[in-house]
Amino acid sequence: MKNPTLEIIDLSLSFKGLMETTRVLHDVSLTIGQKEKVALVGESGSGKSVTARLVLGLLQAQSKTRVSGTINFEGRDLALMTARERRQLRGSRMSMIFQDPVSALNPVYRIETQFHEVLKRNRPTINLDDARGEATAILGDVNITEPERVLKSFPFQLSGGMNQRVMIAMGLINEPTLLIADEPGTALDVTVQDQTLRLMHDMVEERGTSVFFISHNLGVVREFSDRLYVIYQGRIVEEGKTEDVFANPKHPYTRALLAAVPSITSGDTISDAINDTSAFLAPREVHWDA
Amino acid sequence: MGNVLNLLIRRVWISLLVLVGVSILIFLIARVIPGDPARIALGPNATDEQVIKLRGELHLDDPIWKQYGYFASELLQGDLGTSLYTNRPVVKDIAQFLPATLELVFAAGILMVMIGLPLGIISAKYEGRFLDNLIRVIALLGVSAPSFVWAVILMLLFAFFLPLFPIAGRIHTDFDIARTTGFLLIDTLLVGNLRAFFDAIWHLFLPAFALALSGIGQAARLTRANMTETYRRPYIEMAHSYGFPGWRVARKYAFKPSLIPSLTIIGLDFAAMLGNAFLVEAIFAWPGLSRYGVAVILRKDLNAIVGTVLIISAAFLIANLIVDLLIALLNPKIRYARRSP
Repeated sequence: MKNPTLEIIDLSLSFKGLMETTRVLHDVSLTIGQKEKVALVGESGSGKSVTARLVLGLLQAQSKTRVSGTINFEGRDLALMTARERRQLRGSRMSMIFQDPVSALNPVYRIETQFHEVLKRNRPTINLDDARGEATAILGDVNITEPERVLKSFPFQLSGGMNQRVMIAMGLINEPTLLIADEPGTALDVTVQDQTLRLMHDMVEERGTSVFFISHNLGVVREFSDRLYVIYQGRIVEEGKTEDVFANPKHPYTRALLAAVPSITSGDTISDAINDTSAFLAPREVHWDA
Repeated sequence: MGNVLNLLIRRVWISLLVLVGVSILIFLIARVIPGDPARIALGPNATDEQVIKLRGELHLDDPIWKQYGYFASELLQGDLGTSLYTNRPVVKDIAQFLPATLELVFAAGILMVMIGLPLGIISAKYEGRFLDNLIRVIALLGVSAPSFVWAVILMLLFAFFLPLFPIAGRIHTDFDIARTTGFLLIDTLLVGNLRAFFDAIWHLFLPAFALALSGIGQAARLTRANMTETYRRPYIEMAHSYGFPGWRVARKYAFKPSLIPSLTIIGLDFAAMLGNAFLVEAIFAWPGLSRYGVAVILRKDLNAIVGTVLIISAAFLIANLIVDLLIALLNPKIRYARRSP
């Protein structure tokens, strides 16, 4: 039987404070099959980002965290691996794309140096020239027209959208099986975000990469993911195929989230849409019996 | 690289302007100190005629701007006048005493960087853990006592109670090293005398370490502060998410961006050591410029005071210039900044 790329079973996480322990995740379970694009949707503070960091194994080492449950990556339990083995997976079998591309790239190194470093994760002996060649190729794939100039640049010399493409290219250059995207492009303006997400979509389709997509933006999720999980206060409250959840949301929180997506249906005028929007901008309480 | 060159030229110009300003300032200050330099130079037994004659020779009766004019034109010819204390040209005195001080300060600067920066890196990497706390206590001790206190303590501990190091001087008196550069570490190597070379290092260690201690503490604290700040940046998480080993992340990804803000202070600390060296040299009987400086100040030897201060200011400016250049080389934002119109 083929293992799913990622399988999370009853994952719980708490942070130990001075006086009390704060529980951040409650028995979260989710599965990402091979070549599947799965979204985890929720508001800020719901536990989306810590889940991603647990999958990467970035939080386990910290002394103030208590983790229970199982994370299986390609059928192997992360908890049974040594810290070194977990580290070996990062950057080669799984990689991550961050929210703000400009601040996620190191400000004092050229893009080509950063590509070179990433490529060295899989092939420690690769020289800068070969790295440059591979980086040029993949930058072409993300529609960068002057890869040579971009490679010679520092992140601050490039636009946000350009940096985002660079980061997508960097995330995929080692052909990982799992790409974790933590609110990619939220820091960019909407049209640029849309472009880069389409690009990312095509790139992972082509390569057959599984994607763990973390977002608070249902509009984006609808376009991007095959399935989605809705997380609220550290608990998964709903899961299902994207179109099913959008067509028939079961959990009140999901309904509330969906209501927050502005939509302009045909026939609406712009002012209708604005009136529509003002309705959900008003504060409202969410009630349900969870 | 054109930007770096432009920056360098601009900085050199500014430094020269500052140097002119300093020369005016120090010249004025030296002139307003009460007491007649000519009288002090000639001693209590001199007659009034002798004093008046010397005042004339020193242009002390001219208006002050004229006096500065004489001083500036002589300075440009490399003449700082004659020291009333040693009765030799000040330039010669400085040439004799400066190398010993520079040797001490360079050694202290090297210790500061070689010990302070790694301590800061270790501290930041193990933030909040035992090693971090230990280093922070040591660093705080280093910065909280002035160099001369450390000089006395180190001398008592490691030269007197535990005679591991020589108590004073630059080199054992048995060695007779021909003077070429004035830097003993270079001169001993030039004559090929390795034993003398190591003896000079052995003499150098305690005073240099005493002088470096506060700088070590300062460098460690700054590096730690800037690095813990950098550790919270997304690009460090990104580096971790790409699975780079912890030490590599510390050295390559966190240290370089953190070094840029620390460097300015480290450069200033380095230059400040020239001033701190005054008392350390006095304690370790180190025949350097600082001891000379103290002696001439006490004797109100104007030419020598002005010369000494000018040299120290120049050292500050050069240190700043080097730091600016290093920062420009480390920080691509400066190197590739668009020139403002």
